[in-house]
Formats: sequence, C-alpha cells, structure tokens
Amino acid sequence: MDTLARIKDLATKELALDPAKIDPNAPLADLGVDSLTFIEFMFKVEDEFGVKVSDEDLRKIKCLADLERHVAASLQAAGKA
Amino acid sequence: MGARRVAVTGIGVVSALGNSLEEFRRSLAGACSGVRPLPAEIALGSGVQVGALVAWDPAAHFKGPEAGALDRVAQFALASAGEALAASGLINTDLAAAGRNRIGVYWGTGMGGAHTLEAAYSSVYGKNDFRLRPLSVVMGMNNAAASNVALKWGLRGPFANFSTACSSSAMAIGEAMQAIRHGRADAVVAGGAEALLTPGMLAAWQALRTLAPADAADPSASSKPFDKRRGGLVLGEGAAALVLEEESHARARGARIHAFITGYGNTCDAAHMSKPDRDGQVRAMRQALADSGLVPEAIGYINAHGTATIVGDVVECEAIRAVFEKTDVPVSSTKSMHGHLLGGAGALEMAAALMPFADGILPPTAHLEQPDPACVVRHVACKAEQLEPPRAVMSNSFAFGGSNVVLIAERA
Repeated sequence: MDTLARIKDLATKELALDPAKIDPNAPLADLGVDSLTFIEFMFKVEDEFGVKVSDEDLRKIKCLADLERHVAASLQAAGKA
Repeated sequence: MGARRVAVTGIGVVSALGNSLEEFRRSLAGACSGVRPLPAEIALGSGVQVGALVAWDPAAHFKGPEAGALDRVAQFALASAGEALAASGLINTDLAAAGRNRIGVYWGTGMGGAHTLEAAYSSVYGKNDFRLRPLSVVMGMNNAAASNVALKWGLRGPFANFSTACSSSAMAIGEAMQAIRHGRADAVVAGGAEALLTPGMLAAWQALRTLAPADAADPSASSKPFDKRRGGLVLGEGAAALVLEEESHARARGARIHAFITGYGNTCDAAHMSKPDRDGQVRAMRQALADSGLVPEAIGYINAHGTATIVGDVVECEAIRAVFEKTDVPVSSTKSMHGHLLGGAGALEMAAALMPFADGILPPTAHLEQPDPACVVRHVACKAEQLEPPRAVMSNSFAFGGSNVVLIAERA
C-alpha cells in the first residue's frame, strides 16, 4: 500500500472518516478534524510509519496530502522508502 | 418550597457485579461478590492483592475512535448515564432545546481521569518523554466525566462536579435534589464514577495501610464489613447514574417512578483527616431525617458506608445506634460485593438501597459470618432478606476529609 493509502486507511480508522469522502487536499477542518484531534492522530501516524514530526513541521500540515508529502520525505531521509 | 418532590425515574450501573442495573441487583440478591485477585499488570509492585474490577470492553459501548478520547472513568459515566436516561425515557421524547436547558448534570468523582494522569506521569518520569497526548488535560480533569455526559445528550441546565472523596456522588445526588426542589432544573442526571485501579494509585492506597489483604481461602470474600475478621477495604471501580426528576414533570410524561429522594444530610467532622467521627455522622443522619420529615422508625433499611476498616465500622454502628435508638433497622454494607467505589460509592449504593422498593429484597453484607461484637446493629448478614417493601431507606457515605452525606429515599 502506498503512503497516502495507508494514511487514508489510518484516518478512516482513527478519525472515523468515510473513506469515500476523504479529499486529501481538503483543509483538515473541512473534514471535521479539529487541531487537538489532529495532534492525537499524528501520534498514530508516527507509530505507523516510525517517523517523528516536529511541532514546527506539524504547523505546516494543513491537509492529508501535506501529511503524505511530509511522511514520504521523512521516510526517504531515514532511508526507509 | 416543599411542593416540588424529586422522583427517581431512571437508574444505570457499571460495576464489578455487572454493567446494568439488572445484573447488579441480581448479584446483590444472590450475595455474589465481584472482588477478585488483581491481575499482575495492574497491581505491579504495589502489594495490593484484590480489587473489584469492571469487566469492560470499550468497543461494546463506543464507536470507532470515540473511546480513545475518553478516560476509563468517563466511559463508565457515559455508560451508566446512558442506561439511566434510556430507562427514564426522558430523552426519547422529542425534547426541544428549551427542555434541555432545564436538565442538568450533577456528578461526583474522587480522582477523575486517573488512568490519563498516570499514563502522562509514566511517560514523563518513566520514559523521559515529555510529548504527551494533547487530550491529556481534557481527559484527566476531574469534571471530564460530567462534561461528557452533558455533551453527549445536550444537557444544558445547571452543572456541578463534586470531589469530596467517598461522599462525592452522594453529595451530587443531594445537591441535585436541592436544585430541582428550588426550581433550577426539571431533571438532573446525578451520580458518580471512579476508575483509579492503576499501579500508582494502588501504591498510594497501600501506603495508607487501610486495604484488606486477600482472603486466602476465598479472595472474593476479602471485603468483610462488620465481621471481626475484617482487615480493611477493597477498592472497586464503576459508576452509577440516577435520573432525578420533578414529580409533576415525570407524571406528565407518564414516566415510571422508582422512588422519591426526600432527605439530604451534609456535615463535616472537622476533627481528623481520615479517622471517622461519630458526632459528624449522627448529625448528618439526623439532618437527613429532618429534611425528609420522617421519624427514624420510618426507615426500613440502611445501606451503610461500612468500608470494613477496623475503626470505621465500629464508629458507624455507634452512630446508627445513637440515631435509631428505639428501632432495629436492618443494616448492610454492599461494599462486601462491589468493593469501595470511593467517589462513585454513594451513587452505586443508592442504586442498591432502592432495591427493597422494587421487590422487598434487602441486599446483604456478604461474608458476615462472625459479626464483631463492637458492631451492634441489626445486620442483614450473608444472605439477602425479603420483607415487605419499606416506606423509606437511608444510604450513608462518610469520606476522608470528614465529609458526611446521608440520603433518604421514599417508596413511590
């Protein structure tokens, strides 16, 4: 499964989102995900991919596509991709 | 005032004796204990041997990720409130927003989100990891359980959260009754919850040297209130919720009325932080009787605080004798079966105390085979008794810190 599919899968499970309605480019707030919930979700993402996201990077992530790009870059940097 | 009577129209229970009122009462009637040896992963090195754990599967009660944002104590609170509200039928009718503004939540808990707090400390001190869950504060705070109940059902009336150790939820019920009497609300979800069986909290309790060791022959009989073999209390967890409702409001919608809460006594010992005081307890019982307008002879059953500590049981029996000098009122401590729920105890024990109104069954003090001669009251020992449903019952809750709360309920 590619990175975005895994993130969508996790979002379906952890954020109770409807997979058919997940638009990776939609602002998180439009998906009904508030900031606290998103930070909680990031902990799951970190566990899933074995990466760490700094608070500074976290602030730049506005949608699931941003998140996917960040995770992919982290994996590449760590030589895991 | 005095015209507004407060009815109980719904009851919900989460306990080691089952996660519904029906299972809870069936266990009490059968003198079944929910006390068990604590699993090693919970006791760790605390030295605590037994507890009354709730058999709990969050997925059976909450959808998807919902449970992950709720401390165990809030999960218990929501489950008990859900059962009470469903039984009352209060929310099933198409209740307009204005109606919800007249329904409150009064709750009690000693420690609040103990699991959340302990997980945070474990991360900080145990793993040197300071990156905590962002929900740590709102899951751990003492009022989280009550707020979740209000949020889930849109209950926007008066709101209060009491934390007076072992009298917390009895106080919540008493104060909720006052709020309805005084016209501040038409109905209140009142009760309490506790979930603090964590290694750190167990170690703190063990340090107090007030917990019972396991009964070697039968660990489920480790909590022995009023028995001369008693060795301290057994901690439990769980929740209970009552839907309290102004009588005419309940009657107008044809609700079933289980009982009326008619008496509330509230005093402080101001004598010692942990040693109980007879005078404070006597004053609370007399206050509750005066509030209900009943004479002691009208009380047909007392659900005692009865924690099974060496000193506490004797003092309570002396206090009961002082108030009920001319009467042989049956007394039991159901903590022998469901353990001590601390902040949730008063509400759970009110659910037990109301039992005789339904079918005349008085729940017993289980395992009371050798009554302590210093605990002279008319015990309901070992087995439940069936009598004519009494006119009124009393429930005692006496807390560390000297808080004494006594509630009286009358037959509908």
